[in-house]
Amino acid sequence: MLLMPLPDTPCNHLLASLPPTELARWAPLLQATEMPLGQVLYESGCTLEHVYFPTTAIVSLLYVMENGASAEIAIVGNEGLVGISLFMGGGSTPSRAVVQSAGQGLRLPAQAMKDEFNRAGPVMHLMLRYTQALITQMAQTAVCNRHHTLDQQLCRWLLLSLDRLPGTELQMTQELIANMLGVRREGVTAAAHSLQQAGLIRYARGRISVLDRPALEQRTCECYAVVKREYDRLLPGRAAD
Amino acid sequence: MDPPLVKAGAAGPAPTEAANPTLPSIAQPTAQPGAPPAANPAAPCSAPPAAQNQLVERLPVADRERLLAQCDCVPLALSGLLCAPGLASEHAFFPLSGVVSMALLADAHPGLEVGMVGREGMLGLPLALGVASVPLRAMVQGPGAAWRIPAASLQREVARSSALRGVLNRYVFVRMAELATSAACQRFHLIGPRLARRLLMSQDRSGSQRVHVTQEFLANMLGVRRVGVTAAAGALQRSGVIEYHRGELTVLNRAGLEAAACSCYARDRQSYVELMA
Repeated sequence: MLLMPLPDTPCNHLLASLPPTELARWAPLLQATEMPLGQVLYESGCTLEHVYFPTTAIVSLLYVMENGASAEIAIVGNEGLVGISLFMGGGSTPSRAVVQSAGQGLRLPAQAMKDEFNRAGPVMHLMLRYTQALITQMAQTAVCNRHHTLDQQLCRWLLLSLDRLPGTELQMTQELIANMLGVRREGVTAAAHSLQQAGLIRYARGRISVLDRPALEQRTCECYAVVKREYDRLLPGRAAD
Repeated sequence: MDPPLVKAGAAGPAPTEAANPTLPSIAQPTAQPGAPPAANPAAPCSAPPAAQNQLVERLPVADRERLLAQCDCVPLALSGLLCAPGLASEHAFFPLSGVVSMALLADAHPGLEVGMVGREGMLGLPLALGVASVPLRAMVQGPGAAWRIPAASLQREVARSSALRGVLNRYVFVRMAELATSAACQRFHLIGPRLARRLLMSQDRSGSQRVHVTQEFLANMLGVRRVGVTAAAGALQRSGVIEYHRGELTVLNRAGLEAAACSCYARDRQSYVELMA
C-alpha cells in the first residue's frame, strides 16, 4: 500500500501531507479498500466505525429528508476524508455518505482517528482546516440550490467531480445525478442533453466524458470557482493539481 | 392587503449593496463595526447580562473565567458588520443577546442566509478551526450584546483548554448540520414554511415577539422575490399567526407558527440538543 505520493500514483492529499511521525503511527492501521459505485459508507444517524480517505473514488454526502428525498450537500474525493463527525460531533452523523464514482480509498479505524485528533497536534489542525473547507462547500451548495439553474448546477457538479478524478470520464447514471442534485430525472436528462448538443460532454451507457472543460467552466455558476478557491487556499497539495 | 414596507435604512436592516461601502472599515483595527471603538478590554459590561452565552456556560468554571477575562462586553448594533467576505476576522463573538445573520453573496444576488447565531452559539468559528477569513458576511439583525475576544486570545485559549475545544468542535458540527438542513430546505421547501421557520429561528434568539424587518430583507435572506414573501407573510397574517404592520412583525401565535414551519426547524433544534449534549 502506498501512502506517500509517488509519481503517477493516486494518493489522498490529506494523508500525503501528514508529517512522518503521524503517518508512521497510522501506516499499520490504514487499509486499502475498494469503493464500488453506490456503496453506502454510512447512513444518517449511525455510528462510524471507520473514516475513509478516498484516493480515486468520490463520495457524495447527502441530506435525507423525512419523506426519503435526498439532496447532496458536499462531495469528497482525494482532497479530503469522509467521517468528520467522528471527531467534531459525537459518533453519529446527520448525513448519508454514498460512493458516487467508483474507485479506491484507504480506511482507518475510528479509534485511531479519535486518538490522533485528541493529541491536538498536526492531524487535528489539518482536520479542522479541512472541516472549514467542507463548511464552505456546504454553504455554497445551499446558495447554488436556491439561485442557479439545473444546467449550471450540473456543470458545477461535473467540474467538482472531475477535479477529484484521474481522467476525464465519469461512470454515472442520470438517476444517480438526479438524486444528488435533488431534482427529477427528466430535468437531468434535458440538462445533460443540452451539454451534449453544445459539444461539452458525451454521454453514453452510463458514462460521461468531458470533452471541453473550459467551456464547462464558462457555463457553470460562480459556485464552482468559490469552492475551488477555498479548497486551494485551505488545503495541502491542491494548488499543484 | 400588502403590509407596507419601511423605508430602506429607516428601521429594518438593509443588507443590500448599500451596505457595501462600509466593508473596508472592518479591516481597520480602530473601527470595529458593531462594537464601540472605545470599548475597554479590562472593563466588563457595567450591568452584567442576566443570560450567559450558552457555549460559555458549558465550560468548567476555571476555563470559563480564564476565557471571560480576555473578553470585553460590546453592544451588537443593528446592521453592524461582524464579518465580511475575504477579510480577516480580528475578533470572535459570543452573543449574550441579539441575532446575527450569516449570508453568502452570490453574483447578482444580495446574499442568501446560510445561518443564524444568537446566545446559543458563537461567531468566528473559522478562527477556532485555524482559518482567519471566509467568504461569509455576518450582520447584526437583532441588536444585543456579546462577549468579544481578540482572535489571538481565542486561538491561545483553544490551544490551552480541551473543554473549549470540545465545545467549539461540537458547535462547528451543529453549524454543519444546520447548513445541511438549509441546503436541502432551499431545494425542497416552499416559501411559506421557510418563512415561518426563519421567523421562529430569529425569535428563539432574540427572545422577543416583535421584530423590525422589511419584506425586502426577508426576501433576500430567503433568496426569493419580494412578492413571494408578501404572499407568504399575508397568508400567515390572515390566519392570525403574525401581525405585520409598517415593518414591525409581531408573532401572535407561536404554536401556529411552528405548525406552519417546515420540518427543518424542529430538526435543527433537535440536532442542537443532541450534538451539544
